[in-house]
Amino acid sequence: MELLRPLVLGAVVICSAVFANEAAAVEVIPPKPPAYFNDYANVVPKEKALALNEKLAQFERETSNQVVVAVFRKMETDSDIADYTRRIAQSWKVGQAEKRNGAVLFVFVDDRKMFIQVGYGLEGALPDVTAFDITERRIKPRFRTGDYAGGLEQGVDLICKAIRGEYKGTGETVEEKRAPASSGWGPLGFLVMLIIVLTIIRLGRRRGGYGYTGFGGPFVSSGWGSGWSSSSSSSGGGFSGFSGGGGSFGGGGAGSSW
Amino acid sequence: MLASLFSLTGCGTYNRLVTLEQTVNKKWADVQSVYQRRADLIPNLVSTVAGAANFEKSTLTEVTNARASVGQVKLDPSKAPTDAAELEKFQKAQGQLSTALSRLLVVSENYPQLKATQAFQNLQVQLEGTENRISVERNNFNTAVQEYNTALERFPTNMLNKMFGFKPRPFFTAATGAEKAPTVNFPTFGSTPAASPAATP
Repeated sequence: MELLRPLVLGAVVICSAVFANEAAAVEVIPPKPPAYFNDYANVVPKEKALALNEKLAQFERETSNQVVVAVFRKMETDSDIADYTRRIAQSWKVGQAEKRNGAVLFVFVDDRKMFIQVGYGLEGALPDVTAFDITERRIKPRFRTGDYAGGLEQGVDLICKAIRGEYKGTGETVEEKRAPASSGWGPLGFLVMLIIVLTIIRLGRRRGGYGYTGFGGPFVSSGWGSGWSSSSSSSGGGFSGFSGGGGSFGGGGAGSSW
Repeated sequence: MLASLFSLTGCGTYNRLVTLEQTVNKKWADVQSVYQRRADLIPNLVSTVAGAANFEKSTLTEVTNARASVGQVKLDPSKAPTDAAELEKFQKAQGQLSTALSRLLVVSENYPQLKATQAFQNLQVQLEGTENRISVERNNFNTAVQEYNTALERFPTNMLNKMFGFKPRPFFTAATGAEKAPTVNFPTFGSTPAASPAATP
């Protein structure tokens, strides 16, 4: 009986976690994005979006820093943008777990607001003042003229420039590292498969109640369908998918409205 | 057999409690460091604002005083407080500083020249960032305390904790009036600042 206790407790914890998740229905936390550059609002030409996506994937290979861009139509929350986007970035686990080196540029087109969330491990390289400078003085003027692609490209370049050199990369992204594990059929492989399957189910379920539909998903190349575990080619015209590495966020960053 | 099982559980529980307690202390240190970060910004803020032509002196004094009283409520940064009254005092002092700072930001709306300087803009961004970090770390601390306190109450831990001297920890209470941004109206300054809601007629 005593031995069973942890199991039962574990089940209870999992159940309550699921319910807690379900109960917070007022605010919509968008599901993990499939790519580094995600234009849910369709304001950036597809070729540009793909190019920026590859640039950010390559940036992770070289530096291990994960930089994600997410462009939405609207915020779906009662909280302010700093609070809301921190929760989103945290739930996406952008950045490596140990280095906590993630950064996410959030844009809400209809709200005319943007915010750069900076993971704990990048607060030194990308302090609030720099994040503010990027949104307020570099991106904002372009957004004001409707040049979303230009503003976002500028933002991506400046964020990368600020944090390059902070950490070293391994030549692979988290997504690419995960791929070989599932091909080895040991108990580990089984576990990984189980996690992947559970994640897919979970994602599918979440997407069901997800409020950003109607605008369609972000643009991803046709190669994405095969992308769950097969490693995408790092060269050639392939598409590099994104997987969060377990990073965390503590309220660093800044934003602007335009 | 039963006894050995019990002692095994006891051992595991003890270790678990130690880990949870360490997490609480670690989170407390994080809370302290973000509050310290805010306190460190203040001298710079005060000198920048004081430089602005005839800036309202009372607002500045309020910030300086609140900063001073925060300095007087020093708690051990490496160990989370066990006394609820102690934490309450700490929270109250920090809350007063929050109020004074947001009042200062609201008042500064009336000084366009000050607001336009890059020095002030940077300070404002840093202050906002610090407030964000404070709310995150306070939440993280509360979560850790809650987990630890719950573990303490659970059987058979509740029998063991007396033996080993584990004590439940108080946590931060939800934002009271002191923590929220105040609504300030300055009829003498003319325009209503954007941050305050429209006055009811």
